Amino acid sequence: MILGAASIAEKIPFLWPEIAAFLATCVVMVVGLSPNLGTRRLCAPIAGLGLVAAGVLAAFTTPEGTGPLPFLMPFAKVVLCGVGLVLLLLASGVVDRDEEAVIAAGKATFNPLRTNRAEFYAFFLFSLTGLMLCASADDLIWLFLALELTSLPTYIMVTMSRTGRDGARSCEAGVKYFFLGALGAAMFLYGFALLYGGTGTTSLRGIERAFVSQSGSGGINSIAMVGMLLSIVGVGFKIAAVPMHLYTPDVYEGSASPVAAFLAFVPKTAGFLAIILLVSTMGWTFARDGSAAGGHSLPQLVLLTLWVMAALTMTVGNVLALLQKSVRRILAYSSIAHSGYMLVGVIAGPGDGTSITRNGIAAVLFYLLCYGLMNVGAFAVLACLDRKAGDDSPELETVDDLRGLCSSHPVLGWTMVVCALGLMGFPPLLGFFAKVPLFTSAIAAGEIPLVIVLGLNSAIAAFYYLQLVAAPMLEAPDTTVRTEPTGHAARPMAALISAASVVGVAVASGPLMEAGAKAGGKPVAKKPAEQPKRPPSGPSGH
Amino acid sequence: MLSGILNSLAALMPAAEAGGDLLHPPKGAMLMLAVPVLTLVGVLACTICAVARVRTKLPAWISVACLAGAFGCVLATFLGYEGPRHAVGFEWIHLQWGGETPRGGGQVPIRALHANFGLYVDTLTLLWMLFVTGLATLIALYASEYMAGDVRTAGYSRFFVAFNLFVFSMSCLVMADNLLLLYLGWEGVGLCSYLLIGYFYKKPSAVAAAKKAFIVNRIGDLGLALGIMLIFVKFGTVEYATLLADSKFQGFLAAATAGDFASIPWDIQLIPALLMIGAFGKSAQFPLYVWLPDAMEGPTPVSALIHAATMVTAGVFLIARTFWVFQVSEYALPIVAWIGAITALLAATIGMAQFDIKRIMAYSTVSQLGYMFAGLGVMTSVGAAFHVFTHAFFKALLFLACGAVMHGFAGQLDLRKLSGVQKMPGWRIVGVTMLVGCLNLAGFPLLAGFWSKDMILAQAFAEPGYSAVGWVLLLTAGLTAYYTFRVYFRVFVGPQHFEPGDEVHGHDDAHGHGDHGHAHAEPAHDGHGHGDHAGHAHGSGGGQHGFHPHPPGWAINLVLVVLAIGAFAIIPLNFIGEHAGHGGWAADMVHHSTAGPLPAGAGHAAEGHGGGHAEHGTFLGMDPHKVMYYVSGVVGIVGIGIAFVLHLAGRTEAARSRADGLLPALGPIPGWAQHKWYVDEFYDFLIRTPLWVAAHLFHLVDKLIVDGLVNLFGFIPRALGKAIRPSQSGVLHGYALAMAGGVAFLLLIVLMAAL
Amino acid sequence: MMHLLAQANPPAPMHAVTLGHYLFVSAAMFAIGLIGFVSRRNLIIMFLCTELMFQAAGIALIAFSRFHLNHTGETFVIFVLTVAAAEAAMALALVVLLFRRRESLSGEEWASMKG
Repeated sequence: MILGAASIAEKIPFLWPEIAAFLATCVVMVVGLSPNLGTRRLCAPIAGLGLVAAGVLAAFTTPEGTGPLPFLMPFAKVVLCGVGLVLLLLASGVVDRDEEAVIAAGKATFNPLRTNRAEFYAFFLFSLTGLMLCASADDLIWLFLALELTSLPTYIMVTMSRTGRDGARSCEAGVKYFFLGALGAAMFLYGFALLYGGTGTTSLRGIERAFVSQSGSGGINSIAMVGMLLSIVGVGFKIAAVPMHLYTPDVYEGSASPVAAFLAFVPKTAGFLAIILLVSTMGWTFARDGSAAGGHSLPQLVLLTLWVMAALTMTVGNVLALLQKSVRRILAYSSIAHSGYMLVGVIAGPGDGTSITRNGIAAVLFYLLCYGLMNVGAFAVLACLDRKAGDDSPELETVDDLRGLCSSHPVLGWTMVVCALGLMGFPPLLGFFAKVPLFTSAIAAGEIPLVIVLGLNSAIAAFYYLQLVAAPMLEAPDTTVRTEPTGHAARPMAALISAASVVGVAVASGPLMEAGAKAGGKPVAKKPAEQPKRPPSGPSGH
Repeated sequence: MLSGILNSLAALMPAAEAGGDLLHPPKGAMLMLAVPVLTLVGVLACTICAVARVRTKLPAWISVACLAGAFGCVLATFLGYEGPRHAVGFEWIHLQWGGETPRGGGQVPIRALHANFGLYVDTLTLLWMLFVTGLATLIALYASEYMAGDVRTAGYSRFFVAFNLFVFSMSCLVMADNLLLLYLGWEGVGLCSYLLIGYFYKKPSAVAAAKKAFIVNRIGDLGLALGIMLIFVKFGTVEYATLLADSKFQGFLAAATAGDFASIPWDIQLIPALLMIGAFGKSAQFPLYVWLPDAMEGPTPVSALIHAATMVTAGVFLIARTFWVFQVSEYALPIVAWIGAITALLAATIGMAQFDIKRIMAYSTVSQLGYMFAGLGVMTSVGAAFHVFTHAFFKALLFLACGAVMHGFAGQLDLRKLSGVQKMPGWRIVGVTMLVGCLNLAGFPLLAGFWSKDMILAQAFAEPGYSAVGWVLLLTAGLTAYYTFRVYFRVFVGPQHFEPGDEVHGHDDAHGHGDHGHAHAEPAHDGHGHGDHAGHAHGSGGGQHGFHPHPPGWAINLVLVVLAIGAFAIIPLNFIGEHAGHGGWAADMVHHSTAGPLPAGAGHAAEGHGGGHAEHGTFLGMDPHKVMYYVSGVVGIVGIGIAFVLHLAGRTEAARSRADGLLPALGPIPGWAQHKWYVDEFYDFLIRTPLWVAAHLFHLVDKLIVDGLVNLFGFIPRALGKAIRPSQSGVLHGYALAMAGGVAFLLLIVLMAAL
Repeated sequence: MMHLLAQANPPAPMHAVTLGHYLFVSAAMFAIGLIGFVSRRNLIIMFLCTELMFQAAGIALIAFSRFHLNHTGETFVIFVLTVAAAEAAMALALVVLLFRRRESLSGEEWASMKG
């Protein structure tokens, strides 16, 4: 079972986006070490170019996959390249601010060991590359490596995101994130090992076939089942699902806002892709025979696990968010809650695999895009402003700091209002269009109790999102806290793009939803005609 | 919507051709489709004027042109009329459901709701459309001058947008070939009425009046909507032609004709009752008439067109159009007759005691609408339609004349503060045309109003069992003559005297400006002492505020003259055609339409029309059709005579007349009438007060119980959050332990569940 | 535990070390790592505990690989080792950074953010 040259060549067409991103990473690593500040500043544009190239390649070159979700790759990769670009805009100025100020003052000269721009942008791209690889994964080994490639750079990004006095907080965030992340990784690695043990293969298609034959002869192997549960729970760390959610608020609070926005999107997306791929091996039937109208055929145990995780995750996230004063902790807990919502889509399963309103997977994929945009917008507002006379931290911290933002900084204030309303799921905005398919697909799958829990949680969430709406919009500016823009022009641009997307993508949500539905959809009917051309053996043939 | 219109334009030609095969070739159907299109063009053009901030009279001329074009189309259609036509603009609503096979077997029948934007053009339609578009054109011309004070504001364009939209809606209502399109028009005219009553939206009384009109109309509209739904539920169609041809419906009609009402289910008999409620609301019949007098807050052209001549006759039209539906109910038409009679009398008594001339005209409108309903109720839809037609002319004339006075005297409408206007320079035309209108309204012999009123009266006595209605209507005719000439004798003749109203520049434009501080809704102050008028003998009015009465310009005079001539010109129409002397031309028009004799189930419905004399009541033992001319003529002249004695003969000052001397003898009754019999207060007590109490009660429930629940709902998540907050201890080991424990716990639960 | 794998073909002789033994060792290592991670305060020890858990998975993978008579598991282990090495490098760097800030290696030093 060694990857043969032929099977690697077969994989290449799927990997052009990753290759592009990787090449950009290499260039960034080299360029970022230049003693010339102007050259070093090329890091971000090069990273952006790499992402654009990756997105274009993903949109136009990716062929139909061989897994149960053959259209997942292009959609997921384009989406994450798009959101990645906004994140990149937001990330400007995170690193080397103090360092460059010192050099500019003539107190020091350039020292490649003290500058970390190259590292930061390289890690940024590495993480996104890992995320793209997650979407391409058709093997457990691949999936494990992709998940680790997504996560390992983020540990460092968190730790290095703040310097000086704030550095202590980012160190604390880093240590919690890294150690708990390693624990989580160990868990799903062990789960993967058991999955391999129970089925004899690491290929996702092979595992699927093994499950089919096992359920044909007396039920799925218990070792494989335990492995699957452990894998799901372990990957739950990436999506911040109960009980692996505990790190989230501390890490988001400790890291700089652009990095927190990154964490809320990239590892979460990776986690969801991994969970979707893992669960898909357990035999969602896209009503293959055409008789039953969709529905899921997940084993009861997996379903129960996911059910408990989803219900607990959204409830815990929302009720704890209610008690917070810090905007970033609110967003962190809401990030937990949103993971819970999306798990509902995973539970609903692909239904009949056609329309997004009945396809939970498509709903999750679309939700990931929407959530990414709205969340980036909210964090961008925090990243755009410095407190002028801050006692402890220059970044905006509490809800009170947002008061009157709509009058003092209209663009940022309204961005916060729009994004918070969007996250709340306020009707004409993006969040609403994202949430509706989750509800409808769960109803179509017959998960009425879960839908009720989802509805109640959405109501609870309104409490704290409305705080974020009311403070900038309705209250008078706080005169004691002077805020001023950070001077990174790209950050307000990221905020503006997000806010515009929250409003604008809602208008264009029809085609996007269709794309999502396609991505989460089943192989189309023309499959039989193409079957001979594409031999079913994956890279890990037997 | 726009694309829909364009589509309809594109599809106009073939659709009209295709739709015309109903009875006759579709010659001229195109022309009728042009009416809504032209009015919509008017709406769009005026909207563009509003957007482009046009501050000239352009919107008025556009409107006049569009409306004149529409009138021309109607006239051309009328002249080339050969028989009922059917033209389909475009497919508007087409819903189909059912047909699936349920689990239990059998099959759900397929049901479909078709409603085309289709026109059904017969003589009834044409009759209505002729005066709707004709009067609309004239009144738009009048309004171009009347509203001139607002030319500098956006209001001018706004006025004409709503005006055109009104004519569009009215044409939908009248020409619709199905009840759904009629309903669209019905709501559309309601909306325009609301917009135009509230035209002076900075004036609280105008806003209140607009709201009142809208809300009261909603009650009626609900009835109409329910009626249409019930028709659809029972017969599966909303199209007149299909409904009339429905075999079930024909069966009911036959049963009704045979007098066998017991065999008709109650829910079928409910349909006319529901439609009737709609008609009562729109046509201001008791008990839903209260909005119409208040609607006079709108600009006078609006009062003339919408609230006197056209919109308020929509109820009459509805009943005439669906006359056969009303015949399947035993009680529907008697109720219509009695409600009409009661309304006529009630409104006439109120009108006698008012001082605001526009308001008197409003009550006279309500009263005359009562006549029309009574006419419908006593089986003479011809008489009703004829009266609608004549009334449209003379009532529009009266309103426009009153409007000219109001326009010229700075909003003054109190008949105690105006006198001898006709003799003032430049006011002769207004005075003469006003006299024409008054004579018509009073039913002076040989005038148009006389013939149409006479038909209804005669039929009321002729129809067995309705002679009480006839007596009420006869009494009302006398009262009408009295209060009409009370206005004429006091305002237009007699000693010259005037006090200007409080609209500073003598223009309506003063209305729209909020800087007037106080509302001047009621230029006439009822309780106002009259002593301070002494100083303004005739001609001296100019001195006080430097005020000069502002005689009407050419547009207003032209329109008044045209209408006055029209009021005479329609007299001969009574003596042509098959029904000469009994409605004449108008009778022919109605007879050849759906309101006429039934095409299939010809029965007793036909007999009432135009004097089919199968079974006759009598008027004091005489044939009412022969003697009523004389009786009603005498009654009208007596009414005028009383008015002359009380209000003109020997009157030396504006504020007082001989009638004041009679007041003590009548005790509190005139006061009650002046307060409109306290009907508004009664509604207030009956409806608003209970609602107010209920609202506060519910508010209390809301505060104590619902809010409590909400607070509880808010409290639970917080409490839950506080309970699990310690898990977020911030300590790495705690997190690790929770994670490990959580995973172990989860796996344990799952494994337990598995075993 | 053997009965769970009854459908696979057992290659081992009766008296030899079976898959069950390997899995037991692996599970024990994983448990020890987990317990150590939770109970120890020193960051380096905690990191080593995660290494122990990774290697527990490695042992399981190799045992399964042998059991299934294919090389997938062994391949997997090689990649796991690589990742573990990367994590080790990161952990050491992090520990150095943290030590410079607080002069301590206790995980409990880092608990300023909570709630």
